[in-house]
Amino acid sequence: MLLLVTLVSGCASDLQTKVAGNLNSLSKDQTVAILPIETSESGQNEMANMFRQGLYANLKQSKFNLMEKYIVDGLLKQNKLDDPSGFLAINPMQFGEILGADAIVFSRINKVERSYFVVHSSIELSVSIQMVDTRTGEVLWRAEQTEQDFSGIGKIPTGITTALLAPIQFVTNKFNLRKMTSKMVDKLTALVKNPENAEKNSTFDKTVIAKNATTDLKKIEELQQLKAEWTRALDLEAENDPELLDNETQPVAKKKVLALKTLSLPPAPEEMGIVQVGASLSAKAHKGQVVDAEMAPLPNVPKPQIMPVSLNALKTTLATPTKTDGHSKHSQRKIKSGKSIKENVKPSTALFTVQVGAYKTKAYAQNLLSKLVKKGYNAFVTHNKVYRVQVDKFERKEDAVKLAQGIQQKEKLKNFVTTVQPG
Amino acid sequence: MGHRLVSYSRIFLFLKLCIAYFGIVLAGCGTVDLEVHKGYMNSNMQPRSVAILPFTLEELDPEKVSPHELFRTCFFNYFSYLGYVDMPLETIDQKLKQAGLTDTNKILESSHNKLREILGVDAVIRGRVLSASNFTGGIHAETSIKAKIDMLDLRTGDILWETEHREMTYSGILSPTIVEIIQDQMDNVKVHQAYFKAAEMFSLNIMKEIPDPADSWNEEIHLPKITSIETNLKPNLKLNSNDRIYVNMKGDPGLTGYFDIGSWKSNIPLKEIVPGLYTGSYTIKASDDVSSSLIIGTLKNKNGLTGKKFYKDGMAQFNTPSTH
Repeated sequence: MLLLVTLVSGCASDLQTKVAGNLNSLSKDQTVAILPIETSESGQNEMANMFRQGLYANLKQSKFNLMEKYIVDGLLKQNKLDDPSGFLAINPMQFGEILGADAIVFSRINKVERSYFVVHSSIELSVSIQMVDTRTGEVLWRAEQTEQDFSGIGKIPTGITTALLAPIQFVTNKFNLRKMTSKMVDKLTALVKNPENAEKNSTFDKTVIAKNATTDLKKIEELQQLKAEWTRALDLEAENDPELLDNETQPVAKKKVLALKTLSLPPAPEEMGIVQVGASLSAKAHKGQVVDAEMAPLPNVPKPQIMPVSLNALKTTLATPTKTDGHSKHSQRKIKSGKSIKENVKPSTALFTVQVGAYKTKAYAQNLLSKLVKKGYNAFVTHNKVYRVQVDKFERKEDAVKLAQGIQQKEKLKNFVTTVQPG
Repeated sequence: MGHRLVSYSRIFLFLKLCIAYFGIVLAGCGTVDLEVHKGYMNSNMQPRSVAILPFTLEELDPEKVSPHELFRTCFFNYFSYLGYVDMPLETIDQKLKQAGLTDTNKILESSHNKLREILGVDAVIRGRVLSASNFTGGIHAETSIKAKIDMLDLRTGDILWETEHREMTYSGILSPTIVEIIQDQMDNVKVHQAYFKAAEMFSLNIMKEIPDPADSWNEEIHLPKITSIETNLKPNLKLNSNDRIYVNMKGDPGLTGYFDIGSWKSNIPLKEIVPGLYTGSYTIKASDDVSSSLIIGTLKNKNGLTGKKFYKDGMAQFNTPSTH
């Protein structure tokens, strides 16, 4: 009977916890920072400190490396982030850069409630916690826990004195709050310490991204989308620029220079007066481009090559031969944004043609094509992301240049000579 | 008048019982009397790195639970909350073993110079568990740990602080409720957990008294600085197998550099080709399958502090294996 009473009247606990599969991939190489605890009311600071201390003590033996508390607090102070209530509004990526942590733990004390009714008293604690991967914004662990305990008539006092005094002692003695907090953190962190033991109902069904991270990732994606579209527009503009007539390498170079300005990356080595010994001609043609073309050896083109580095600190020539795989006979390819790298290979048997226009919309290309055909030109349209209107094919470049000059004079059409696949 | 006298005596009896009751219920959570020596007050000499040496046990425990080892682990877990650079216990044990020190008593007797040479830390914490007991019988349940703990400055050989304390969890005839008596009995039978709880309370109480130098280091905390990160990724660029992601990173010289592709691929090494300039690459494999991930460059210093920088001008987006 007493045993039954004991089991029924023991402290109540409600824990809802879920972990992500990626929590298993954290190791001692990854650092996790436990941020200061947010409190919902004044007077919860003591509980918040005990809770954070408990989290540190319990997670110290976990599979990941725990960032020292004084370092977390010191860095937050340096960055003037001293209000835990504002932490959730900050992008986890920002915390990643501020703290150098791979994941961060946000937590909040929802409730610390002490009740006293002469022969009965109780304490109720409630916390929320969330661990977020700063590299992806993924929620690795989320939990809500409520812990309740009481003292008084329901626990069968041993005498009249204890019936009256035990409830008072229960709510006033800090030892009880500490004991409850300790018990709470033990239960709360059990799954995080051994995530491989997580059952299906304790695992997220799908990847959950923290709200503020989602917003910022979307912004980055939108920005990247805009940049991609801008680069495409620059492609078209460059291809139709009369100044580029009779020079097939210039469109690429100009595009890259523009792209450099757009992305505002650090200046290229030559702009910094750095001499690149051993750089190939094609590499020099791309001197003003953003780092991608300089650094992008083409995956299927693994010729040992020079990889110039466009950072200010570089005062000497850096020649880093690299190999990607076994296909080492191809030459370096140019990369255009938005295209698969493999699409950029130019065959050695390419013919020369005169390009007079390029359009995103097929109808516009067809319109120009029909006008040129009516005038007797051997015009055609090629399609690769954009519709290019081109005239004739020549084995000799001189012939193409001649035609280009003729079209420029007669039709007043901006054009340039480029290569085209035979057939 | 006589009736009034009886009433007073009853009240006094009641008050005496109250005092006795509070005295007993509070006995298990006494404060730790920690003596901080004068040498510690010199802020210029405050120890930064600390190693917790293996604790010794004066009397062997018949339950074979090794309360001293359990207490050391628990103490370490809580000590990490304070502003010291604490050496992991495994590292300490390994270093001592390599130096031929396996007897815990001999370790504590070793000179400060020798310990400094072996461990390379500013100070050590020595723990001697004088007694540890766990008893459950009738309505009485008790678990206690009595220990002497001090911090020895290995640079000077001075003891910075010391304490001797007994932490006890007790339940018995003076417990306020029957349910608690039974619950405590049931808990105390689990010897390992009972010792752990006692060690936890000991640790919590002592941590409140140990000087915390955290504020002294606030100005000195500097993460490795990364000034720029560049990759060959561009918006909408889909990567196929054998494509290679290149990363160049500029930052503080002489550190360990690596980069992550989201959380999917971590710690890809970067080589420092000239001071402060780190470069590295990753070749996509046919089996790689990630929708979109940011590239994160990291620099790590010898203290394990890491600086991070995200490359935000492009994401690693792989063509799925089916589209290769």
